[in-house]
Amino acid sequence: MDAGEDQSTGDDVIDISFCGSTPLMWKVSDIKKCRGTGVIGALVGSLARQPRQNVRMGRPLELMQEEALMLEETISASASLHTQDCKDEEAARQYEAVLESSYKEQCTLALEDKKTVLRRIMQKKENDNDDSGYAVRDRLNALDQAFSFPRSAMAIQLCTARAGFSHCPDERGFLYTDWPIPRDERSEIRFRVYRDLRSKGYYLTSAGKFGGDFLVYPGDPLRFHAHYIALCMSMDEQLPLCDVLAIARLGSNVKKTVLLCSPQKPSEAGKEERIEEGVVYSSLQWSSIV
Amino acid sequence: MDEAHQADIPNWIQQHSVYQDLMRLDVGDSAQVYAAFLVYMDLTEVRGWSGVFGVSCPELQAVLLEGREKEGDTVQMIYPLPSHRSIKHKVLRCVLDRGSPMLLCVVASDSSLVYQRLCDGFLTPDPPLDIQDQGRRQHRKRRLQT
Repeated sequence: MDAGEDQSTGDDVIDISFCGSTPLMWKVSDIKKCRGTGVIGALVGSLARQPRQNVRMGRPLELMQEEALMLEETISASASLHTQDCKDEEAARQYEAVLESSYKEQCTLALEDKKTVLRRIMQKKENDNDDSGYAVRDRLNALDQAFSFPRSAMAIQLCTARAGFSHCPDERGFLYTDWPIPRDERSEIRFRVYRDLRSKGYYLTSAGKFGGDFLVYPGDPLRFHAHYIALCMSMDEQLPLCDVLAIARLGSNVKKTVLLCSPQKPSEAGKEERIEEGVVYSSLQWSSIV
Repeated sequence: MDEAHQADIPNWIQQHSVYQDLMRLDVGDSAQVYAAFLVYMDLTEVRGWSGVFGVSCPELQAVLLEGREKEGDTVQMIYPLPSHRSIKHKVLRCVLDRGSPMLLCVVASDSSLVYQRLCDGFLTPDPPLDIQDQGRRQHRKRRLQT
């Protein structure tokens, strides 16, 4: 087991919130723990102070289906489905009241802030013997009536480390839901490949941008480039040759080997013990023959 | 469709001894054998491979080619296929499991050939080109802004 897992801490359960069928993680401690076991995920939230850009993202961490399943299997992770509609009117009213008082508080603070700024400007102009200071003083005096703090400028705090995401074990048991991820043949194949590559020590992320299933790294993605684009398929699945050509060419352009991955069919009946079902890998490379 | 294709194959190919050898292996449809012949010509005439000859593969009902890049090299196995076909991983493994290094050659309708290497397991790719230290460029940018 990974050294990162500390069995002595009381609450080892990781919370995975589901939005539809998309698994999300909100708590930093959970995200850290998962990274220690090789589950990378992708940050999809926007940062409060750096909106309108896609370079640096914040929580929640979106997991691939395979990553969520892996967490369920290896370390204990429980799924909780947060209901969309809150039928609790009392809670809704309380929330509105909290928002209102926060708004009033922010109004007051914003007004004070603006006054301070104007006073500072005024002071500076007086020191410089600048006559335009009078206009500033007039503004300052009129500020109490003229100032408006629009609702759209209000900051709303989302408490992710407090109630709603850290339930005591009894509450968690109540909120626990059945795993809402469908298990069809395609996702079974993907999961078996994911699990096998993880067991070999590789790190995996989604390869949507490359037209594959997974990007396979020899170590943490923060430190390495991916070596392989993994394509998961059954042994009998038909692949048009044009598609094979296209992905091999792409792999060559981005310096990655295309890896064809197929879970082996379980061995025929007759053997007493169940043989470990492996995965067959074939590497496809644009030939160096020019 | 095979009969129409057979008629399209030029006479000089139909009469070529190697083409007739490949047909005589009695596996593969005429389109696949035609593809194999084109690959044979490319390997021997253009690339100068030695000891290239057709091998029958009954499990796949296809003609494979065996040859060496030059004398003394290890034997390689080439699987020629027309480009409009589909392939299964199982089929590729069938050829791979014979043990020799394998090339998949796709033949387009205009007779252009594309080779791809296949091998068992994980083949580490070539490393990317070194990324130059961007440090000085960053300083230059900052000076422009002030």
